[in-house]
This record gives sequence, C-alpha cells and structure tokens, in this order.
Amino acid sequence: MVEVFNPNPTIFAPAKSVKPFNTESLWVEDPFSFDADGEAADVEQLIDQEEIFDLIRSIYDPEHPNTLEELRVVSAPQITVIGNRVMVEFTPTVPHCGMSTLIGLSIRVRLLRALPSRFKIDITLKPGSHQSELAVNKQLNDKERVAAALENPVLVQTLEQSLVNASLRGQPAAEA
Amino acid sequence: MEIDLTHKIEPVQELPGHQDRAWHVAWNPAKPLIASCSADKSVRMYTYNSPTGGSAAPTFSHLTTIPTGHTKTVRAVAWAPSGNTLATASFDANIGVWEQEEAEEEEGRKGDWECASLLEGHETECKCVAYSSSGTLLASCSRDKTVWIWEVHPDSDFECMSVLMEHSQDVKCVAWHPTEEILASASYDDTIKMYIDDPSDDWFCFLTLTGHTSTVWSLAWSPKGSYLASASDDKTIRVWRRVAEHKWECALVLEGNERSVYSVSWGVGPGLGWVAAVGGDGVIRVWVLSENEDSTLNHKLIAQMPNAHGVHDANSVAWCPRLGFENLLATTGDDGATRIWRVVEALRE
Repeated sequence: MVEVFNPNPTIFAPAKSVKPFNTESLWVEDPFSFDADGEAADVEQLIDQEEIFDLIRSIYDPEHPNTLEELRVVSAPQITVIGNRVMVEFTPTVPHCGMSTLIGLSIRVRLLRALPSRFKIDITLKPGSHQSELAVNKQLNDKERVAAALENPVLVQTLEQSLVNASLRGQPAAEA
Repeated sequence: MEIDLTHKIEPVQELPGHQDRAWHVAWNPAKPLIASCSADKSVRMYTYNSPTGGSAAPTFSHLTTIPTGHTKTVRAVAWAPSGNTLATASFDANIGVWEQEEAEEEEGRKGDWECASLLEGHETECKCVAYSSSGTLLASCSRDKTVWIWEVHPDSDFECMSVLMEHSQDVKCVAWHPTEEILASASYDDTIKMYIDDPSDDWFCFLTLTGHTSTVWSLAWSPKGSYLASASDDKTIRVWRRVAEHKWECALVLEGNERSVYSVSWGVGPGLGWVAAVGGDGVIRVWVLSENEDSTLNHKLIAQMPNAHGVHDANSVAWCPRLGFENLLATTGDDGATRIWRVVEALRE
C-alpha cells in the first residue's frame, strides 16, 4: 500500500458548469477551424479562465475518488489567460502532498491534449502551499522532464486513470 | 517595438518529416550533411549542394532516415570531427554510434548508416553527447546526474575513462572546448562545470560557474575558445570570459527572450562572432559580440525572426561550421520540422 498523504481531505460540492455540456467542443486539433460560412472561428476570444477550468475540474486526484474541483485543488480564479499564455495555479490539500507533481502533470497533459498548440502553459503551486514548492514548479515546467515522464508507461497509466473522466467538465459521472 | 536591425534572417528551406517534436540538429563539420533527431526515435539526414550563383542559397534534399532502434526519444545528435561518425543520445539511457557502410560497387550508391556501437551505462535518460575537437574523446550526460567521458578506440570500440558526479541534478548539456581538452557541462542545478584530465589521476572538475537562476539548457564555446555562452530557463544567455588558464567569469548577460532559452550556438563572424539563440518564445535572435579596447564586451542584436516554427517552441539552433556556409542556421521545433535560414545584411532604403 502506498502512503496516503492526506487520508481525510475536505470535499466541496462542485459548482454548476458555467457552460452547457457540449461534446462538440472547440478543442479540436486544428486551432484554425472554419465555420459553415468559411470564416475563421474566433477561437482566441472563447478560451478564457472558465473554459480552462472546465477542462481540468473533472481530473481525479491520484489518491482519492474525488475530482480536483471537489478537493479545491483547482479553481477558476487560480487560472490566468493572457493571449496565448495559460497560467494554472493549484493548491495541494496538504503542504507535504507527495502527489503534487503527479497532479500538476495530469493538469499539463489534459491541457496539452485539449488546447490548440499555440498555447504556452505554465503550471505552478499556489505560493506557500507546499514545502517543496520551487522543486515541484521547476519539474512541472521542464519540457524535457515532462516529455521523458510521458514515455514512462507506468506513469502514463496512472495519469490516464486521473484523466479518465476529465471530459465531463464538472458534470456528474454516469452511473455504472 | 520596431528595432532597426542591420541584418535579416531569410528562410532558405523547411525540412519536414519527423512525426513528433524535433529536439536537435547538427551540421556535419566536413561534408554537406545535416542530421536531426526527434521524439519519433528517428534521425533524418539531408544533403545540400553548393550553389553556383553568387547570391543563391543551397538546396537541401532528404538523404536517409535512420530508425535508430532507440526505444525512446532521440534527444541529441553529434558528429565526430571527421564527419564519418554520428552519435545519438536517447531517453532510453543509451548512446548510439552510427557509421556508414562501405559503398556497394554495383549499385553505385553509398551504404546505409548502421549502428556501430551502443554505449550503455547511464541509468536514466541521456540528454546530450559531444565529441572532443580531436575526435578521440566522447562525452555523454544524463538525468542520472553524471557525465561520462569515453575514449574512442579504432573499430568503434569505446572505453569509459571517467564518470563525473559533480552535479546535484540532471545534466542537460555537454560541450568540448574547440581546441583544448576541456569539457563543460550544464545542469538543472543551475550551474555550469568544467573538467580537465589529470594525467596522473582522473578527470576532475576545476570550476563551477554560478549566476543563472534556473536550469542551464545549452552551451556554446566561441570559435576561438576564449568565451563560453550558456542558455537558461531564466530567459537569459550568459557569456563567460576566460580570465586565466583555468578561470572563467561572467562578462555579459543577454536578455530579451520571453520564455526559456533552450539552445545557443556561436558562429564565426565579425568581432567575436555571431551568437544565435532560440527557445520557448519561438524567436530566433542573433547578436554580434565584440571586445572593446578596455576588454569589456560589446553586444548588439543584429537580426531576429519571430514564429520561426509557427506557434511552436524552437528547441535547437546551430550555425553551419563549413567554410563558405557560415551564414547558414538550422533550427528544430516542436512542429517536427528542421528549418534552414541564412543571415544576410538588411537592405537599406
């Protein structure tokens, strides 16, 4: 059994999704998609703080059956979008959380897969929220380390479990 | 802000083909060849001609693709000074050594590039590999925090001479001095270290350069070896000057990059030469460096090219080392492409 860093996390009720649930999302591979009239869709206008939050709120915590939103690890006010730069701050449930790197990596992988490639993504811990804040931040934003981690099959399998319902965007999971 | 730049960076050719992020590119020092490597685990080689017209740029054509057999990303490539051997550094923790088979007479074509040797020993991802100027030594580095120095013997035989464990974190880059047997390494621990051989003992670290405030990604010696440039996640390039035989000091900090600087290359040119750098902001920047009379350093941005790989990061930059092609630059990016550029004087109105 692996060590559980926070055996009793506080769980919060998820907020109502700000946008109607829609599987036909904007986040297609091609950022320069065209609408029926042949005009370039103005994607840039549509990706904001709330949209980014919707993409990551349903990621599961690696050690609890709860989403990052339910644990208040991520929240819309902790997201900043300036032009093509997306900055996501997240708050571990406890300051010695050994899962922080994995949580940060799951947020990065979700955004890498969901956002058009023009976005530059920075992921950091909330200042003062973790005893190894600088080390975790450095690792999460080192593209070479991230690339190498994503070639590790065991780690990718763990990430996929965290991301299995990420596309729900805050909607409750269907009953099994 | 429009800056009045004296030179411009002209696109020469795009060389697509990698199926994933292209990490690194290296010009063959002796032959018209260029090799790039990628997360798709392959190495692509291109050849180029010598243009006949005075102002024409060379034309590049795909020569071959080596599947490599590495089981993970090929992170870096390095040519031996002879131009006959290529080394690959892979996230699978191995260093590959590649040589071209003898030409087959009947077909009238050169042989395939074959793996002549596989250097095992690193525990985790290899990040960089480099041949010394004489070609007799090879250095490799890894996330396992070590730098290995290998002696190159005939018939693709390699002997590990030393395992240097000076860095406290991943070693990102190794670079040999252009004429002397001095090795420099750059690390995730924010420092640069230099090593020499003690003939009666082992290789040892004689200098640690501190000043960068984050990961040092890349190193480039000046063509004559009296300076070393380093590129960092702290968005700067530092230029270190040799002030004594075994002493270097920071002489200059180049700023302007908006994100991590992943690669720096130092080419010949007026003064101390041209320094090119690329990184996460996707801009190619070229500075000319020169020494003032009081031996302080002068720098001037002479050219820049935004969106060099579209919206993607640029991961490596390299000046062509061959005579007559010194104004050619190659870059690789997260778009999987290698792009060839040339730096020319901007036309004045």
